[in-house]
Amino acid sequence: MRWLLLPLLLLAACSKGPEADLPYISQARSLAAEWALINEQASQGKLTPTYIETMRNSVREQLQTSAKALSEPQSGYAKEIQAVLKEPDGARPEELRAHAARLKQVEDSLESA
Amino acid sequence: MSALGHLKIVSQLLDLPIIDKDERSCGIVDDVELEGRPGKEMKVAALLVGPGAYDGRMPAWLLWLTRQIAGDRMARVPADQIDEIGAVVKLKSCGEDLGLHQVEDKVRAWIPRKGAL
Amino acid sequence: MNPLELTLGIMTAVGGFVDISELVFAAKAGSMFGYALIWAFVLGTIGMSVFGEMSGRVAAIAKQPVFNLMRHRLGLKLGLVTLIGSLISTLITCAAEVGGMALILNYLTGLPYPLLAVASVIVVSASMWVLPFKWIERTYGLLGLMMIVFAVAVVAIHPPWAKLIGGAVPQVPSGLSSKELLNYSYFIVAILSAVLFPYESYFYSSGGIEEGWGAKDLLTNRVTCTVGFGLGSLLAISILAASAQLFGPLNVGPEIPGTSALEAAIPFGRVGLMLALLGMLFAVAGAAVETCMSNAYAVSQFFGWEWGRHAKPWEAPRFTLAWIAVMLLALLIVLTGVDVMSLVEYAVLFSIIVLPLTYLPLMLLANDKSYMREHANKWLAKGLGWLFFVIVTCAAIAAIPLYLLTSGGSG
Repeated sequence: MRWLLLPLLLLAACSKGPEADLPYISQARSLAAEWALINEQASQGKLTPTYIETMRNSVREQLQTSAKALSEPQSGYAKEIQAVLKEPDGARPEELRAHAARLKQVEDSLESA
Repeated sequence: MSALGHLKIVSQLLDLPIIDKDERSCGIVDDVELEGRPGKEMKVAALLVGPGAYDGRMPAWLLWLTRQIAGDRMARVPADQIDEIGAVVKLKSCGEDLGLHQVEDKVRAWIPRKGAL
Repeated sequence: MNPLELTLGIMTAVGGFVDISELVFAAKAGSMFGYALIWAFVLGTIGMSVFGEMSGRVAAIAKQPVFNLMRHRLGLKLGLVTLIGSLISTLITCAAEVGGMALILNYLTGLPYPLLAVASVIVVSASMWVLPFKWIERTYGLLGLMMIVFAVAVVAIHPPWAKLIGGAVPQVPSGLSSKELLNYSYFIVAILSAVLFPYESYFYSSGGIEEGWGAKDLLTNRVTCTVGFGLGSLLAISILAASAQLFGPLNVGPEIPGTSALEAAIPFGRVGLMLALLGMLFAVAGAAVETCMSNAYAVSQFFGWEWGRHAKPWEAPRFTLAWIAVMLLALLIVLTGVDVMSLVEYAVLFSIIVLPLTYLPLMLLANDKSYMREHANKWLAKGLGWLFFVIVTCAAIAAIPLYLLTSGGSG
């Protein structure tokens, strides 16, 4: 009856681990990049204060949702997402883009694995 | 197309919309009542309209569910009330005279008559 | 043909083309695949024009809307399956539009999202109660023309025009990994679904009856479907193209619907931002009205109730209760807190599955000379109609596997 365990083990493996976290890493990468773009445009006076505040709130909420959904909360990419969340609202675009770039590297390496 | 003459009941009559002489919607042809005898010509006796006419047209469980939601009322429209059959069935009389607007009239009482341009 | 009426009809079609699903998928497609998915919008728009023209023609000549005739063609059982499938997919779409309105109002006002969802439903419902059909359609369609700022923004950011135009040719970008290829395939299906939403045919054909179309209006119908939808699709393509130019290189997905407004803010500042947000608001609000009314049309026509906003609300009481119920259900879905982006994904998925059952009866009706007389489909409409029927059927079959394999296009 041990053969029955194999599909269950495979299923369990599929639902955990970096591969399973790929959609959330991708979301977090995009959110960090969107935040950077908002702050960059805000610094050039192109956005309204209400838009800036509400978009930053949306970014944070979604980042928190992505962080909570990770199956590997102690992984390097999870810590990167936490580092993004610790950034102040008006963080420099370059800092936020650096986070996005690091998350993109993780994404690319998982996709090619 | 005329109401008289030969008809293909499924492709030319069943599930057609019904409108009365005032061009108001009066339901759908949910079933057809036939009259005739072996060896004699079969004729359409009446159109049956309403969820009460769904018997035999859907699975038993779905019929039960439909009856819980919509009841089992049925109106019978005699064939001599049919004016014309084409893309719709046109009637010679008003829907009220044939008992076809009862639910619509009941629901109308709940709708405020204000505010619409 | 009244030129003013025709112009207004075209403008309404343009302003009313984009909804929250097209907004989301156009921006994501541009970011992920550059200009390579423009052809999916072009293909979907041609399909929409073909079936839109057919449904308008059926309404004008047979004087009956699609759902009435669909029940007659499919019978009660299969007709009920189509009705229920269509009601569910359109309800989810309506909820996505209501959620989209609340989000955009949040970006404009900063007020809480749940409050804005309730306010949106109240305002939209009030407009549906007070205004006759023609003015419901025109108000949202014409105000949605503020979306033109996206088209102007694309010109202002100087995209590589040769590449952009090249995107209109069906293609598979070279060098895609197998995962990326699956994602690309998913986006093709999603874009086709977003452009070809079933509610659009029901609303358009019912609208033709509401406006009392006859044989004299066939040219108006044809021009509205080709010119109006074609120009409208340019707005969606503009969102994709600007995303390819501005978002893709910066690793922006985007994940938040409001990010698309940056496409107009980057070249034009606050004025661009406000025009984009207001255009999005009215386009999405118009789609909320269309989806709501489409469901009410479907149920009323299927059961033979009085229907339409050419009548006062109390003259078509069950129809009135139906659209009020749809709006309230959509609001309830939004108030559960489900993410608007998730609603968009589900709307697109359910809609493409229902689409073949919507288009098949329409094709059969438009081909039927006993209803359509000399206005039945000629060789071009027949050929294109069957071609697109095959395309949407293939897309419907592929939709769920692609959704699961790609985690809804994100992995």
